[in-house]
Amino acid sequence: MSGVLVVAEARRGELRDVSLELIGAARSLGGPLSVAVIDHDPSRYRDRLSVEGVDAVLAVATPNEHFEPHVAARALEGLIASEQPDVVVLGHTIDSLGFAPAVAARGGHGFASDVTRVSGGADSLVVGRSAYGGKLEAELDFPGKDTVLLLLRAGAFEPAGGSGSPEWRDVQVELGEPRSEHVDFREAATGDVDITKADFLLSVGRGIEDKDNLEQFEGLADKMGAILSVSRPLVDAGWVTNARQVGQSGKTVKPKVYLALGISGAVQHLAGMRGADTIIAVNTDPEAPIFSVAHYGAVADLFDVADQLEQQSG
Amino acid sequence: MLFAAEKTRPVLWHMSTGLEVLWYFLAVVSVLVFAYGVWRPIAKYRRGRAIWMPARSELWPRFKRATRRLFAHSAIARRDPLAGWAHRGTFYGFLVLFAGTIILAIDTDVVHRISGYSYFKGNFYLGYSVVLDVFGLALVGGLAVMMVRRGILRPRKLDYARPDRAPGEEQFDRRVYRVGDWVFLGVLITIALTGYLLEGVRVAEDNPGYNAWTPIGWVFAQLYDGLGVSQSGLTDIRHGIWWFHGLLAISFVAAIPYTKATHMLTSYASMVLKDPLAGKRLRPIPEELASEPAGYATLADFSITHLLQLDACTKCGRCHEVCPANITGRPLSPRDVILELREQANAGIDHPAWGEHSVHADTAWSCMQCNACVEICPVGIEQAPIINQLRRNMIEEGELDSNLQSTLQVIHKSGNSFGENRRRRGRWTEELEFEVKDARTEPVDLLWFVGDYASFDPRSQTVTRALATILHEAGVDFGIMFDGERNAGNDVRRVGEEGLFEALAEHNVAALSECEFARILTSDPHSLNTLRNEYPDYGGEWEVVHHTALLLELIQAGRLAVDGQLSYRVTYHDPCYLGRHNGGYDAPREILRRLGCELIEMPRNRDNSFCCGAGGGRIWIPDKPGAERPSENRIREAVSVGPLDLFVVSCPKDVTMFEDAIKTSGNADNIRLAELTELVQEALVAAPVAAV
Amino acid sequence: MKVVVPVKQVAVVDEDFELADDGTAVDPDFLEWSLNEWDEFSVEAALQLAGDDGEVVVVTVGDDEATEGLLTCLAKGAGRGIRVWEQSLTSADALAVARVLAAVVERESPDLVLCGVQSSDAVNSATGIGLAGFLDLPHVAVARAISGGEGSLTVERELEGGLVEVVRIGLPALLTVQTGINEPRYANLRAIKQAREKPLEVLDLAGLGLSGDDVAGASGGRLRKLAVPEAGEGAEMLTGSAAEVATRIREIVQDRLSA
Repeated sequence: MSGVLVVAEARRGELRDVSLELIGAARSLGGPLSVAVIDHDPSRYRDRLSVEGVDAVLAVATPNEHFEPHVAARALEGLIASEQPDVVVLGHTIDSLGFAPAVAARGGHGFASDVTRVSGGADSLVVGRSAYGGKLEAELDFPGKDTVLLLLRAGAFEPAGGSGSPEWRDVQVELGEPRSEHVDFREAATGDVDITKADFLLSVGRGIEDKDNLEQFEGLADKMGAILSVSRPLVDAGWVTNARQVGQSGKTVKPKVYLALGISGAVQHLAGMRGADTIIAVNTDPEAPIFSVAHYGAVADLFDVADQLEQQSG
Repeated sequence: MLFAAEKTRPVLWHMSTGLEVLWYFLAVVSVLVFAYGVWRPIAKYRRGRAIWMPARSELWPRFKRATRRLFAHSAIARRDPLAGWAHRGTFYGFLVLFAGTIILAIDTDVVHRISGYSYFKGNFYLGYSVVLDVFGLALVGGLAVMMVRRGILRPRKLDYARPDRAPGEEQFDRRVYRVGDWVFLGVLITIALTGYLLEGVRVAEDNPGYNAWTPIGWVFAQLYDGLGVSQSGLTDIRHGIWWFHGLLAISFVAAIPYTKATHMLTSYASMVLKDPLAGKRLRPIPEELASEPAGYATLADFSITHLLQLDACTKCGRCHEVCPANITGRPLSPRDVILELREQANAGIDHPAWGEHSVHADTAWSCMQCNACVEICPVGIEQAPIINQLRRNMIEEGELDSNLQSTLQVIHKSGNSFGENRRRRGRWTEELEFEVKDARTEPVDLLWFVGDYASFDPRSQTVTRALATILHEAGVDFGIMFDGERNAGNDVRRVGEEGLFEALAEHNVAALSECEFARILTSDPHSLNTLRNEYPDYGGEWEVVHHTALLLELIQAGRLAVDGQLSYRVTYHDPCYLGRHNGGYDAPREILRRLGCELIEMPRNRDNSFCCGAGGGRIWIPDKPGAERPSENRIREAVSVGPLDLFVVSCPKDVTMFEDAIKTSGNADNIRLAELTELVQEALVAAPVAAV
Repeated sequence: MKVVVPVKQVAVVDEDFELADDGTAVDPDFLEWSLNEWDEFSVEAALQLAGDDGEVVVVTVGDDEATEGLLTCLAKGAGRGIRVWEQSLTSADALAVARVLAAVVERESPDLVLCGVQSSDAVNSATGIGLAGFLDLPHVAVARAISGGEGSLTVERELEGGLVEVVRIGLPALLTVQTGINEPRYANLRAIKQAREKPLEVLDLAGLGLSGDDVAGASGGRLRKLAVPEAGEGAEMLTGSAAEVATRIREIVQDRLSA
């Protein structure tokens, strides 16, 4: 066998959107395309996975109700052994990061993560990813590797659509024992506000320098009719709850207007807001990555601009 | 009873031998108690570290200097003439009366006993009499003024309430100090007054004549006459007052080392031992302590001098009154830091110097290291350097604000506090129309150490460019080190990060040593202070001049034609590190005068200048919202002086702090900020530069 | 508890950088080095878990630039440092580095290995779990809280959207640690200087019983080239004073919200 094996991702009974993006990317490589579902009850995702271009769905039923990295690793290893794909495609997600590198290491496979471009076809694969914290782009290939594991950046590829009727196969794999035990899930702190529902978000980051300045920006957001949101560093520092965090480990937002003050634009943050209709960014660093996704930008001192916005919104 | 002709007075008048023995016994006991009281704190001080002690050869000059200062009283009279006079009266009064007692004792117990001769008679006695009478009055007068000051006038400096504890918290209550100080004044004035009462009753009873030589005694004698006391009554009263006055006096003397009176000894000792460069030149970590944690963790880590200084504080309140942190409502008063440490030292030498139950962390971190406290303390206590030592230990223990932590890490990595790539340090020169010499590769006359703020902060960069242009057009041969220069380290040191300071100093000294130059110029007073006063400890000793001094040199040499070109009404803010730390008050004022500006001084000027709040690393630590910032307080002071065109500064941090404060205090329409260099440039544009 | 903490000295690229001749690396003159931000958190977590009785060993694969980072960790309280380097490791990717680290960890036999989730320069997010793979250690990725210690740990995993999963895992294990898990302590410069007295071993591959081929074979891929990303349309930049910028922003906001 050869071709591409997509590893779908689900959590708490819901298929995650990234799975469809993976299928979309895999289709561009050509060749046979299978989708693996490693889950307690794979059949519940049957409909959503029946998209155009998928040749087969390989269902591996696990005894554990929730994701367990060691079981997932064994499952994938079993599938690689039996299906011998050229390329295995997963999402660059928290769950995948929890087992895919281990599979690649043990199997001596090719590996690249946070991939934003793929080309060349399944057996002459070339991928692109960023390097040096986003300042450069790297191009990688995988000479001598029979199987290559790729983790694709969420939101970088178009999701697959249309409908199809893939073959459904229940696959038996020697899964071994789980080596960690799920105890509980805890919801994100709900807080008093749902930033995903806001039309206008005023978002602040490390640039505001100090917790005590938050009040000022809360006030400004109020005046301008915006909801205040933040980037990760402010949550890490304990200034704000995660409820207002925009980013990969926070919320993904798509407001009409996203005004980012003092946010440099780390990849994880961009992942959470790049879908906004209009992005305006203010930062003193002309090289800040946020300018690459913003529609409007200003290289200026955010406090000066904030003061002016405050006065003018009088 | 009349003492015919012989001008003297009885000593130990009418005492039975038994009583006389008792008296001497009590006197000896009093001396022993005194001696023990002196020994005990000395034993305590010796448990500190014998570091930074003056050399033996320095001791005599120090004693002379301290004694001169003490007798002149200028330190006590500064900014408080009333206190100055009150203390002069008390001091000289007490000194003379005490000396008088000694003189009398020597006559009675030594000279007379051994040789039978007595000098306590005749004209000597008359002179003695009147001197003591007058000085006794000075003593009473001084004490009375002090009591009025304390009880009625109630100046802010005598408010013992401490800003670093809330009501109800441990050690908040200052009753012991308040009561203790009143008792001190009360006992001393009682001794003086009972002395007069005694003199009065003697004059009333003995009627010796020569009343002109015992004027006050004569006045008090009238009191008894007026009350119609009988002769025998006078005798009884005389016995009573004699013993009362005597016992009170020897008790007072015995108690000196146990009460406020101890300042007679400890404050003087502090004046002898103090570091004349306190605050300007902080002390490197001594070699022998290289592997110990830095700074003061417990009281046992204190230097002997600092331990002594804790006992030298008289709670005069000058530092409390002048501290910009205290004035703007922050939990710091230098006085209360010293008193807290004193209490800890007395509770046990191994008690913590900082922490929840000692000097609080936020107290120590509120300090701007502006040296106003050190500068004004009449007895030479080194509050700011002691706080610096506490910080050194807090840094060891990781007890510091997280923003400060990041800034220190940034300085370590990029050599500047802005986190800018070190290569960009010389970027400001790119907008100039001429090349600035690289002092690393060519010899220059003046090596300009630019400093972080002047190099990287956009507002300050305009000043830096202005200065460069002025120097260039005046034909000054100068150069900079571009990215060979790193943060000079003044504020890193004041924050307590000795290791980082050392690394910066060593780097800069090495870089400077590679260059050829006659003098170092700097436009940053913080850099000036450390380059001039502290770098010599790291092998780099050069002549360092501030840009205001250099500009004045050029003006006076006729190389800058600026005379009378501007006519603004201005006020001038003395930067802490140029003024208080390095005495640079006059050059900026002379420049303003030459420019033709009218200078209106703010009430707090020169050595009393009010810190902008950036020093001591405070510019790297966020302020709590709501509290008035020192810079805002200063702008309000400027605006209150009257209509002014400009607020003139000569430090890049002042530029940053006051530009901000003018806006946030709502005074943007009332006053504008100008750096002195900018004014010089404006004047030059108005007039052609003199040909070189 | 004995904890091994692999750390990385990461590169920050200067704004005016140049690429090396072969186009696969940045000219080292334009690189500035510092300890990976995630590793500050993993070192702090290790120090807290190990406590006064335990031992923390830090290890890095890097050239001499990495020594500074190790000294910082030693200054914070790690007991020993190990640096592995030889020329052939210059192009080692995440899995190759993990292969080398695996040899070190095997030598040390710790109770726990703590890695940062990712490094700020390469951002592979793979070295930690790859290392767990080579060692066949139980692992949990992206820990935002760790507690426990007597033979097992309770770990909170940070998932997308702010969801948290609580899992339990037995020791020995490997965790990757996310930023914000703790407040890393400050290593003052005196302590960093004094840290030079602490044991710091420098090894090459042979010292670990590895060959260049072992490591190369473990590598995940080959870097063909590095390029400056295309600027793309980019943002429309607003210029002028803060007041002018603010005015424009308000115009844009009003326009977009009413649309």
